[in-house]
Amino acid sequence: MSAVVNNRIRQGSTAVDILLYAIALLVCILTLYPFYLVIIMSISSPMEVAAMNVFWFPKGFFLGSYELIVKDTKMWWAYSNTIIYVVSGMLLNCLMSILGAYPLTARNLKGRKWVIAFLLIPMYFGGGIIPSYLLVNKLGLYNTMFAVIIPGAVSIWNIILVRTYFATIPEAIKESASVDGASHWQLLFRIIVPVSKPILAVIAIYTVVGIWNSWFDALVYLPNERLHPLQMYLYRVVVQQTVDLKMLTMEDAARASFTMLSNIQLKYAIIVFTTLPVIFTYPFFQKYFIKGALLGSLKE
Amino acid sequence: MLPVLLHIFIFCYIPLYGVVIAFQDYYPGKSFLAFDGSVHWVGFKHFIDFFNGPYFSRLMRNTFMLSFYFFAFGFWVPILFSLLVNELKSGVFKKYVQTASYLPHFISNVVVAGMILSFIGSDGIVNAIIKLFGGAPISLTTEPGYFPAIYTITSIWKSFGWSSILYLSAMSSIDPHLYEAAKMDGANRFKQMVHITLPSIRPTIFILLIFAIGNLLSANSEFILLIYNPALYETADVIGTYLYRDGLLGGNFSSGTAVGLLISAINFTLLYMANRLSRKYSDYALW
Repeated sequence: MSAVVNNRIRQGSTAVDILLYAIALLVCILTLYPFYLVIIMSISSPMEVAAMNVFWFPKGFFLGSYELIVKDTKMWWAYSNTIIYVVSGMLLNCLMSILGAYPLTARNLKGRKWVIAFLLIPMYFGGGIIPSYLLVNKLGLYNTMFAVIIPGAVSIWNIILVRTYFATIPEAIKESASVDGASHWQLLFRIIVPVSKPILAVIAIYTVVGIWNSWFDALVYLPNERLHPLQMYLYRVVVQQTVDLKMLTMEDAARASFTMLSNIQLKYAIIVFTTLPVIFTYPFFQKYFIKGALLGSLKE
Repeated sequence: MLPVLLHIFIFCYIPLYGVVIAFQDYYPGKSFLAFDGSVHWVGFKHFIDFFNGPYFSRLMRNTFMLSFYFFAFGFWVPILFSLLVNELKSGVFKKYVQTASYLPHFISNVVVAGMILSFIGSDGIVNAIIKLFGGAPISLTTEPGYFPAIYTITSIWKSFGWSSILYLSAMSSIDPHLYEAAKMDGANRFKQMVHITLPSIRPTIFILLIFAIGNLLSANSEFILLIYNPALYETADVIGTYLYRDGLLGGNFSSGTAVGLLISAINFTLLYMANRLSRKYSDYALW
């Protein structure tokens, strides 16, 4: 109702409206055009791409670059590694946030103030990258999958978000449960966690996208290529250019179109291929993200 | 709870203690916890070496300038964008514009870097357009002068939509009656925006301004690491990338930690001062 009122009273001239819509459309196009360009270049015919003729619409149609990528075993290795990192990271983060947040809601917890201070200090001060690197080395995690999984398993930020949500659960529910003889574990996993699904969804999705997009930890901790996540593989192909996809084309060299295939087009194809999961799922999880961003701002 | 605290202790507090190696001559394999005299304390040597080192002024200048460009050109973009979105009538188009603007935020740095590098390469689209208009191709990837612009534009493109969320949520809580009253008093749309919408989001602007000032020495080094190359060090090498190259790859652990410690100290001071100023001249503060 209020939105309707809002619109009616704020009606201005149509000319202004058209101008505003035009600007908004322009902003939209500017934002999306780079993605669009990458996609159309990746499926256009290699001759047209090499001649830089592709601007608005795909010219010709050629999926050879995708064919090559799908055959690349390194890419599939990286894909499966990423899935391992994402799933384990998400589960650990949710579990640790629940376990970390629950005791903080108990009002009679001794030294609660100290625990909160203990949590807040690392949010402002950190040792920096080198002491962390030395620590991971000392613990013997260097060059193992755990080097990426374990340090990221706890997020103080998530603990605070979950704690804030737990605090909104009516005290009466908890009391009646303990009167009925529920232990802390039962109370936590049978009652509190099920009603906290919205906040857990938010942190799970944040974690998933964060891990999916991360590459720097792998760069620092994982010299072994077999352990690299997808983004690190992408880094090697697209930025460092140490993986030459053209090598793959040798067996296909007989086919004329492949010889025209430029490295740049392969890069576009691989960008599209590794980013598609994000772009396709993005509209669905978007609302959780916005929720998370607003929750975060409340704490600030 | 205990495993969580233990985890935080190990991965947050031990590295925090680890900064003591900034005051030592540390070699890998040596313990920095030992009290048996094997630790070689050197006081502020690494800090002084950094101040007098050949890269100090270049690193400080680049880090500050890149952060400053992003602040000066990027801070008001989400504000303008959210004002624009707010003026659109609600509907599919408005939703679509917002969704599109958030998208770059979810694309990884590596992908964005890959796209940018191929666009500005010698056979990329930017040079193709220049040629189309009869210009001579520019070597954007090796000419240091262009780097700040490339970095700033890309960073703004990646972040403006997402940053507008907070402003938009502040605007959505404005009481429609305020607009109604303004309309009665004969305020046109522009006046309504200046006198109602803008004042309503002022607290949000102040808070984000404090954060932005606290970040004036923290250029996005993870992203720069992806798009720079040795030819661009003159304008692109920042403290974060230098730390990675010299401290981590070069194995200069002690001096690297010293540089990192210095920067986080400066950043914290900046944040603290911005917060003080803001509390003094307005009512908004982080703590």
